[in-house]
Amino acid sequence: MGGDYDALILARGLTRYFGQRPAVVELDLEVRAGEVLGLLGPNGAGKTTTVRMLAGLLAPTSGEAWVAGHSVVREPEKVRPRIGLVSESPGFYKRLSVRRNLQFFAELYGVHDPQRVEGTLSLVGLSDRAAEPVATLSKGLRQRLALARALVHDPPVLLLDEPTSGLDPEVAKEVRDLLSELSREKRGILLCTHNLAEAERLCHRVALLKTRLIALGKPEELKERLFGRRVVVTLSHSIPALPENLGLPFVRGLSLDKNKLYVGVETPERDNPRLIKRLVELGAEIVYVTEEARTLEEVYLELVEGGE
Amino acid sequence: MKLKTLILKEWADLFRIKMVIYGCVFMPLFMGGVAGYMAWQARSLPSPAQAALLNTSLLYFLVLPVLIPVTLGVYSVVGEKEQGTLEPLLATPISDLQLFLGKSVVVVIPSLILTWAVFGLFLAATSFLFGSVPRPITSLPWLLSIFVLSPLLSLFAALVAMIISSRSADSRAAYQFASLAVVPGIIPLIVYSARLTAVDLKFVGIEGAILLALDVILLFLGIKIFQREEILTRWK
Repeated sequence: MGGDYDALILARGLTRYFGQRPAVVELDLEVRAGEVLGLLGPNGAGKTTTVRMLAGLLAPTSGEAWVAGHSVVREPEKVRPRIGLVSESPGFYKRLSVRRNLQFFAELYGVHDPQRVEGTLSLVGLSDRAAEPVATLSKGLRQRLALARALVHDPPVLLLDEPTSGLDPEVAKEVRDLLSELSREKRGILLCTHNLAEAERLCHRVALLKTRLIALGKPEELKERLFGRRVVVTLSHSIPALPENLGLPFVRGLSLDKNKLYVGVETPERDNPRLIKRLVELGAEIVYVTEEARTLEEVYLELVEGGE
Repeated sequence: MKLKTLILKEWADLFRIKMVIYGCVFMPLFMGGVAGYMAWQARSLPSPAQAALLNTSLLYFLVLPVLIPVTLGVYSVVGEKEQGTLEPLLATPISDLQLFLGKSVVVVIPSLILTWAVFGLFLAATSFLFGSVPRPITSLPWLLSIFVLSPLLSLFAALVAMIISSRSADSRAAYQFASLAVVPGIIPLIVYSARLTAVDLKFVGIEGAILLALDVILLFLGIKIFQREEILTRWK
């Protein structure tokens, strides 16, 4: 294995070209047990290609990846039983019942215990629909069945490509809750999503992909790295003139918008008392002070659409 | 075990479509009916002409085993792709050999059951018409043709259909090309109609040996060119 630690997914220099067109270039990432890694990026960024390479469905042009300790290049047959895959558009045999569909895939994964199938159906809330043909299920219920298919053989690694895509908010939340529960079971989960709020809520770390990896880290770290930290001081009235950076060494930029003063600081916990004291000295009447909340969406837009 | 799982699922899925069942049953009954009509016509003919017509009627039972595998087999991979089940299927630990062989066997077995069942009806009908089953029908070359050539023909058609299905980017194109798989089934018909040779032991032996070799070659070739990633990425 390419690392000496307990990564369930480990990719090193993973690259895939389709003809002359690069789909994924030099991707390095790892997902540990109990971790949800969000893979974000615009359409065509290489997310699905990455998932397919990790699932042993596509061979990398160069580089290597290991899933649950097995090389996807040299041992794809050992990788497949160890992953649960929810693909971009999960299909089923629509004329067969929900139970028969799950039973089929369970048996291909070597699971012949009917109780396991029933238990998985129960986990995703499909027990009462088990006898019905898949054709009668809504998109949301099919998505739940896709999760059941990914879980029925109890794999240590889950590769989820847009698992909440097209679901109504209520069902999407149920799926997210389920994923959150699954990550507590010490699985490694790679979650491809366009839903940045979902990624922020579910993922311990996120990777921003645009053919190449352009950022990797905890959402909070990325926000801080990209924007720094800013406090917003709401004043009772605007102040006409302020000295540059308020004359304070820790201030990294200052802007005033009506009665709101935006101040970039290194560590608000440490710097705020001195900042407030200084503003009061300058004659400001402070109503309240908050830290500016940046979203993952802003990070995404800055990195992906604003150019690297 | 995986092979059995795949075969049982395929049948469960396939035979839930009533039109597939009707389609599978209609053609053998129709061809069996035509063969039976020819036998009925042969009743009043002099002996050599009667034998010739009965021989011709038997040729239908060599075309039958290729028809069902072609029509059903060509959809096997294309169909998985169209309903979005191919990626999850390929992500399971099933091997290429299991997948390829399983999907071929799925269409060969019903085809043989139907061929032999209709042949049984044909035997019963000729026995009724002639008082006993006439000699050409129970001759060794024909019994070998029905019970040995038929499985080889059927497997050939299934393998060709599978290869076409796995290599085609479009289901319509797959159906167009699949008609090629019928050719070995109609070779005896062509040969016999053109009076190039009789359907004798030598002919059956040669065609059987060629078909066996072709089946083995096609199975290995099919698995070799069954490229999972190409199948996944070629379709959009």
